[in-house]
Amino acid sequence: MYKYIYIIPEAIGKSVLRMCASIGSIAIFFYDFVICLFTPPIYIKSLLIQLVRIGYNSLPVIGLTAFFTGGVLALQIYVGGSRFNAENIVASIVALGITRELGPVIAGLMLAGRVSASISAEIATMRVTEQIDALITLSTNPMKYLVVPRVLAAVISLPILVIIADIIGIMGGFVVGTKTLGFIEQSYIKNTLDIIELRDVLSGLVKAAVFGFIVAFMGCYHGYNSTGGAQGVGRSTTLAVVSASILILASNYILTSLVFTN
Amino acid sequence: MDHILKINELSKSFGDKSVLDNLSINIERNKSQVIIGGSGTGKSVLLKCILGLIEPDSGEIFFNQQILNKKKRADIDFHSKIGMLFQGAALFDSLNVQENITFGIKKLESNLGDLTEIAVDKLKKVGLNSSVLYFYPSELSGGMQKRVALARAIARNPELLFFDEPTTGLDPIMADVINNLINEVIEEVGATAITITHDMESAKKIADKISMLYKGAVIWTGDAMDINSSNNPYVDQFIKGSSDGPIKINPND
Repeated sequence: MYKYIYIIPEAIGKSVLRMCASIGSIAIFFYDFVICLFTPPIYIKSLLIQLVRIGYNSLPVIGLTAFFTGGVLALQIYVGGSRFNAENIVASIVALGITRELGPVIAGLMLAGRVSASISAEIATMRVTEQIDALITLSTNPMKYLVVPRVLAAVISLPILVIIADIIGIMGGFVVGTKTLGFIEQSYIKNTLDIIELRDVLSGLVKAAVFGFIVAFMGCYHGYNSTGGAQGVGRSTTLAVVSASILILASNYILTSLVFTN
Repeated sequence: MDHILKINELSKSFGDKSVLDNLSINIERNKSQVIIGGSGTGKSVLLKCILGLIEPDSGEIFFNQQILNKKKRADIDFHSKIGMLFQGAALFDSLNVQENITFGIKKLESNLGDLTEIAVDKLKKVGLNSSVLYFYPSELSGGMQKRVALARAIARNPELLFFDEPTTGLDPIMADVINNLINEVIEEVGATAITITHDMESAKKIADKISMLYKGAVIWTGDAMDINSSNNPYVDQFIKGSSDGPIKINPND
């Protein structure tokens, strides 16, 4: 009976220690990343390959998601707005909602699912098959060769993807608004353009760059520190997607607070 | 005696488990040194400590009379002087055979000539022709992957070659082919070789000297030809592959 008194505090203590160890490990990985980011060589070919893989290849997924999100948003705003005779705000709310929030968040989350998992699985497989050790024996810093190009590519790609997602998302709202809800095309476009400010778009792009960093960094971190064979690869992939998704939503709140509140 | 590598009282533990226990060993230049021992005796950890993939808890490693630590490895560009054949070949999946073989040469910004020519030359040395030059590792058999990995290991004409279980996972004929290739490339490159293995056929074929590891320490070193008359009960049990003897598999024994 006596020993059971200690079970809960012991479990809590172990969890706290594990969490502290993880935070420390991520901080060291980040420090190494920053050092490698600003020291040569920079692997331009790897960067270009990753720009295609992370950016260009994510375009269909993010485009489709943005289109349907814009459409659904238009429908919801119309239904909600009609309760207090405010149907006309559909175009404005879709434009603001997409550029400020849904564009970057949806793109970030889709990239977390698609890219973070893929980066983590690829690097974890390289770890368990000793390819990362092989890089070191061939005088190549794995952080510079594997991590820096992927993180840079994601930070560059996601803002561009978000610009495209913003346009397609607003277009989704436009299609639903004009074809289903009966809005006049010219007035829908006018309302959209009138409401959007440069700050709305820029804030979304800043968020996108941060989300891009989170997605690639968490994928690389979990893949790089993978242990335990095939099971470890699966575990690191799951951890990468989950941690990237949570961090995107948490940082979204922080960034929104910083940009849109005084 | 000219030693290319000297290891003094190296220790490494993982948690409570001591893997290397004050291990000392000297490697003679231009000799083929094989390190044998059962699973979990510390062979791979020793190799990783030398390569700088794992930091030892204590002890010293000297390469050409210079101490090897993290800073020194970078200063003397240690990795450009070595070649390593990994147990599972460890070829880069995303690169073709030519890119794999010449990967390290690019890093050296060498003026050794055209990279394709170098790759073809190294492939020839391991008994392959240029038809596999643009194949990806997944398109090669296990034996061919090992050969390509061997070509990559010798591509920079290293002073020191490491082989980690070079015949594991290969059929006996392919294992013999790899053993012959190792002997040929060691002679041709003029390098010192350190091989870790538990394959006694392979050890006898490629070794000038053999050391045996047990519980993280060297318990016997001698010429390869003397291993059958070592009068060491641990070595005798290991080379006979017998479960009876001083080496206990059950940790409780």
